[in-house]
Formats: sequence, C-alpha cells, structure tokens
Amino acid sequence: MKLSIYSLKKVLFQGSAQLLNCKTQLGEITVLDNHEPLIIVLTKGTARIKDDTGNEHFLEIKSGFLEVRQENEVRCIVEQ
Amino acid sequence: MESPQNIKKRLKSVNNIGQITKAMELVSATKMRKSQEIALASRPYAFAGLELLANLSVLEKTSKLKMPKLFEVRKKINKVLFIVVSSDKGLAGAFNSSVFKKFEAHLKIEKEEWKKEQHIYLAVGEKAYQYLNKKGFKVVKKFIHAGDFTTPEQVLPLSDFIIKGYLNYDFDRVIAVSTHFRSALKQEPHIRRVLPIDFEHVKDTIKEIIPEKGKFAELIKEHRIDFVPDEKKVAEYLIEPNPQEVIEKLAEHLFFMQVYHLILEANASEHSARRMAMKTASDNAKDLGETLNLQYNKSRQSRITTEIAEISAGAEAQQ
Repeated sequence: MKLSIYSLKKVLFQGSAQLLNCKTQLGEITVLDNHEPLIIVLTKGTARIKDDTGNEHFLEIKSGFLEVRQENEVRCIVEQ
Repeated sequence: MESPQNIKKRLKSVNNIGQITKAMELVSATKMRKSQEIALASRPYAFAGLELLANLSVLEKTSKLKMPKLFEVRKKINKVLFIVVSSDKGLAGAFNSSVFKKFEAHLKIEKEEWKKEQHIYLAVGEKAYQYLNKKGFKVVKKFIHAGDFTTPEQVLPLSDFIIKGYLNYDFDRVIAVSTHFRSALKQEPHIRRVLPIDFEHVKDTIKEIIPEKGKFAELIKEHRIDFVPDEKKVAEYLIEPNPQEVIEKLAEHLFFMQVYHLILEANASEHSARRMAMKTASDNAKDLGETLNLQYNKSRQSRITTEIAEISAGAEAQQ
C-alpha cells in the first residue's frame, strides 16, 4: 500500500509499506493492504511501519488522524 | 575645517557600524530562507488535513453530523479577542510599526454595531506587549521569546489558551493582526478572523504559505487546492470512534496549524524586514564613509600646505 505520514515539521514517511501498526482511541490497529476506507483518531503511542523491503520504522506519535483511502492509499497526519 | 584626528575617529566608528549592519543583513537573509523552508515543510500536513475536513463536511449535509463549536458563528458577540503578532527584537525597519498602524486603523473604522463589543488583547512577541501596554489596553496573556523560528511545541500553549477560552465563552470572536509574507521584498500587515474557523480562511492561509515571488514561488503551480469531495465515496468511509468526535478533534488540529502558520509567516517577514533595514543601513554607512574619507584627505592636505607655507615663510625671514 501507499503510505504517507505527515507532521507539521516534516514528512515522516513516504513510500510503499506492507504494514502499519498504531494506537487509536479504540485500541491498537494494524492496517494491511487493501483495507476498507477508514478515518480514525490516533492517540499517544508508537507507530510501527514495515516497508516493502521488510525494514521496520518506528515513529513516536502524540495525536493525529489516520485515513485509509480508496486505491490502497493510507495517509496520516500526526502531532509529535 | 575639522581636525583630521576628529574625522578619523568618526570614520572609524562609521566603518564599524557598517560592518555590524552588514553582518546582521547576511544573518537575517539566511534566517529568512530557513523560516520559509520550515513553512513549506508543513504543507503536506496542511493539505491532508484540509482534505480530510472537506470530506467530513460532506457528511454534515448527508447525516446528522453537527459542525463543531469552533466553526459555529455566534449570533451575539460580547467579547472579541485580538491577537497582535510582532517580533521580540527591534531593528527590523517598519515591521512592527506597520502591524500596529494597521491595528489602529482597524479599531478606528469600527462600525456602530461593534462599539458594544468588549475588546481583549493577546500579545505575541515582546514588542506587541510593550505597545499594547503603552496604549493602556488590557492584555490577557502574552507569548514571547518564540525565538527566530517558532516550533509547534511553542505554539501549542497559545492555541490551547485560545480554544479553551473560546469554548468557555470568554470571547466570541478571535481576530489576528499579523504580517503576510508576500515576497522577500514585500510584507503586508494583515487582519483576519481566525475563530470561528472558516473553511475558506484556512484555505487562504495554506495558499499563502508559498510566497508570490522568489525562490519558492514556482511551487504554486504544482498543487491546486480544489477539494471536491465525492459524496458517494465519502459515504463508504468507516469513521471511528464517531464522526462528531473526529471532526471536533480535526477542527482543533486545523486551528493549531493556522496559528502556527500565522506566527511562522510573521517570523519570515521579520527576518526579511530586518534584512532590508540592515541593507539600507550598510549602504548609508558606506556612503557616509566615503564622504568622511574625502573630508579627511582634504583636511590633512590643507594642514600640510599651511605647515609648508609657515616653514618657507620662516626660512625667508631668516635670510
């Protein structure tokens, strides 16, 4: 899936990823390929991203939003 | 004619001042570029946020979603909060005074219906605080020492204070007076309403992130800000925990972003205003130095001439 994570200071992640795992108001969520469209509020926690090469990235998140769009595209805007 | 010693002293101090202003000019130029870059770095965030809001506001029409309080235009307005954004430091030419002038002009043209409203003021930057205090306005809070570039962490207390006060009915409208960075050579004082939030106003703020001219101006063509959400597609979204909560949180984030940009823009304007002021100052110092140098040479020459005349007169007398 195409994943982009933006903060006010910079673009934290942009590219294709296999998996995104983060904390939301309703508990932990893992987004995989072809997830259904979704808008959800993120809470404080660490986001884990597995990119296409299998490398893992960890990002600290204070709050934000996760939006799964059509055509396998995921976008997050976060506060750090 | 002034003595060469005196002129030399003045010449030296003029040169020293010229060096200082030249250095300040270069430093400000770098800072200006950096603050523009910081503003640009937050564009993707701003776009994504605005698009999300556009999508959600479609739901307002289709379902029972209520627009959050931050968007609601209140019918009766008792108190108005003015945010005056200036710099902490001086030596920036007309940067601060033009903001204050605009602010005063705005207060003067007040319409009849506004006269009943009570005004409270919030100062961002040391100079704004001093100015408002001198004028005897009631300053509820000041936010100073933001430094050369503000960070989101520094803006957070400010936006929190405003949101809390607004929801608490401490004030019913928030108006910001700040500087709009049009290009490196041109900055304009600007007055805009920041609360209640208006979708168009937020859009304008985001458009203004890119200056009209200069290094980053060509970026404008890349992005077009026209959000036409597809109602059918939006309906497919699964929104958790519920649309109401999401849009309320999003409104806060967008407001925060707007305040952040307001201050960033003021930062960039401050640096470029200072750069221009310092450039004029060093040019003046250079001109002054040249004139003084000429004067010094003339006065030295005339002194030598008198001395020689005296010596030859003395020699003649002895013969």
